[in-house]
Amino acid sequence: MSEILTLTHVSKWYGPVMGLSDVTLDVKPGITGLVGPNGAGKSTLMKLATGQLRPDVGTVTVCGKTAWSAAAKLYMGFCPENDVFYEEMTGRQFVRGMTRLCGYSKREAYRRADAAIERVGMADRADKKVRGFSKGMRQRVKLAHALVHDPQLLILDEPMNGVDPVGRMELYALFHQLAESGKALLISSHQLEELEKLTNRLMIIARGMLIASGTLSEIRETLADIPLSVRLDCDQPRKLAADLLNLPDVLGVELSDVHSVVVRVQHSRRFFTNLGEYLAKESLALRRMESLDASTQAVLDYVLKR
Amino acid sequence: MSLSLMGYRSWQGKLGSSLRSIWPISRVSLQLVFRQKLYWVLYVLALMTFFVFFFGIYLFSQIDTETITPNRPGIPAQTANKFFVDIKNSIQKDLKLSGDVETYRNFYVLQGYYVMVVLAMAGSLIIGNDYRYGSLAFYLSKPMGHWHYLLGKIFTVVIFTALMTFVPALVLYFECSMLMEEGYFWEHLALLRGIALYGLAIAFVLGVLVVTLASAVRRTAPLVMIWIALLAICPVMGNLFVDRLGYSANWRLIDLWNDLYVFGSWCLNISPVPVVGQRGFIRRQPSLTPVLIVLGSVMVFCLVYLHRKIRAVEVVT
Repeated sequence: MSEILTLTHVSKWYGPVMGLSDVTLDVKPGITGLVGPNGAGKSTLMKLATGQLRPDVGTVTVCGKTAWSAAAKLYMGFCPENDVFYEEMTGRQFVRGMTRLCGYSKREAYRRADAAIERVGMADRADKKVRGFSKGMRQRVKLAHALVHDPQLLILDEPMNGVDPVGRMELYALFHQLAESGKALLISSHQLEELEKLTNRLMIIARGMLIASGTLSEIRETLADIPLSVRLDCDQPRKLAADLLNLPDVLGVELSDVHSVVVRVQHSRRFFTNLGEYLAKESLALRRMESLDASTQAVLDYVLKR
Repeated sequence: MSLSLMGYRSWQGKLGSSLRSIWPISRVSLQLVFRQKLYWVLYVLALMTFFVFFFGIYLFSQIDTETITPNRPGIPAQTANKFFVDIKNSIQKDLKLSGDVETYRNFYVLQGYYVMVVLAMAGSLIIGNDYRYGSLAFYLSKPMGHWHYLLGKIFTVVIFTALMTFVPALVLYFECSMLMEEGYFWEHLALLRGIALYGLAIAFVLGVLVVTLASAVRRTAPLVMIWIALLAICPVMGNLFVDRLGYSANWRLIDLWNDLYVFGSWCLNISPVPVVGQRGFIRRQPSLTPVLIVLGSVMVFCLVYLHRKIRAVEVVT
């Protein structure tokens, strides 16, 4: 897969305040989640990626063009978190006006704006003034504005804020369609459970640095020294619990209910190898195995604590 | 929802230059301004000077007609003529509505007071709110440069100002062409060029200045206060230094509106030194060169500031 967005050793300072420090990353087609606590540098990264800021050090390119240039912006669409815009205009007028900025003829701009409005499910409400829009409707109008020129890279800052559950499902479907059609989506969100439904590829930012990137399992792999909780369901939980304590990486065992054992392990990869061998030797069948610490939130908590 | 069903197709045509984004930015900004009733009220108020001139010129031309009309029933011809001549002289002396070069200069000078007030109010709406509410991100994520955005906003103020100055002056010129002596339009083409130059100078200088101030201040109230300080207090100071304290006429350069007046007088090919007052008191004016230097410096300063500002759209919150 070719990189659509590339940051190479990028640093950005706001006077004495460090916004981003020596960040190198690339975003490929598909959906990538951008997570991190407040003030971590997510907004700075997005502003750099959308060419609103110039890096003090390093380079930012979109489809091979410098992100700052107008040429690069043809390949990107940005949906900012801010949803206060021109209240006196209708949603359609706003999207049409913004589409004209892309250089299309008036007719083509209007056609594209109308199509984008339809895609985000606002066709029947776009002729009302923005002043009367709910937060969810504003999100959709912003999304239409970002989609309108068919960009290769979509950068979405908290796109699900205020969108109702039905609307979320529609937007998830749209995001997946866009990703399947070869576009790269970089989605920043605080709602990790929402992000989990969209992707398992994450970039975690803290204190202006990229501290982890990859799929959830890849990130979890890098945390080998951090204990992992695994729930095992079987017919003989007491025997399993007793035997597991003999395995070298097991730190503790807990019987959670009639059929379940929760085991806390140190080196997950080695543990799973040993567990497989043990189960084969004892001819024990597991009904279910689930890692309790592999959720996005758990991984994020671990990464941020490091 | 299939992508192909949504009319989403790749663009086969040639995209226009980024420069073409200037007009849509201006159009959106003008729409924003003219959607507010307050600005319609202010705009109509700003056109009051225009209406005074428009009907004044009409009256002036009618007096010419009336004075050559022979005896009217019930009024002795001599009395009627004296009455009309007095009115005519009064109009000519105070407002200079004869359709000559002073008519237009006078119009621009008087219109300036309204323009200042309206621009101060409109400045924060046209550009200040983009900074204040973060709407800048919508523009800057589109395929255009930061300067295109600024040029679009400056162009908005230029159009807005021209609608209050240059366009009404043009209407007055056409009115004079119809009401004054035959051949007025073609014989005064140099005057038309001067009207255009003066009007555009006002529009561009004020456009750049308003955009700069609105970028710096953003909120309406402080913007109005600074604007008033610039364009109302500076003239008072200039008058004080030059007329009362007898300092060099160059002290009047601090009055930007007066600088535009001197430049406009040059455009209209008329002396910028009017004789005012009962005793023929002469208002000394600086020469054109320092005026051009001041206006140029103000423009350069504003553009440099905007350049630095637009590079630093980020705000550490």
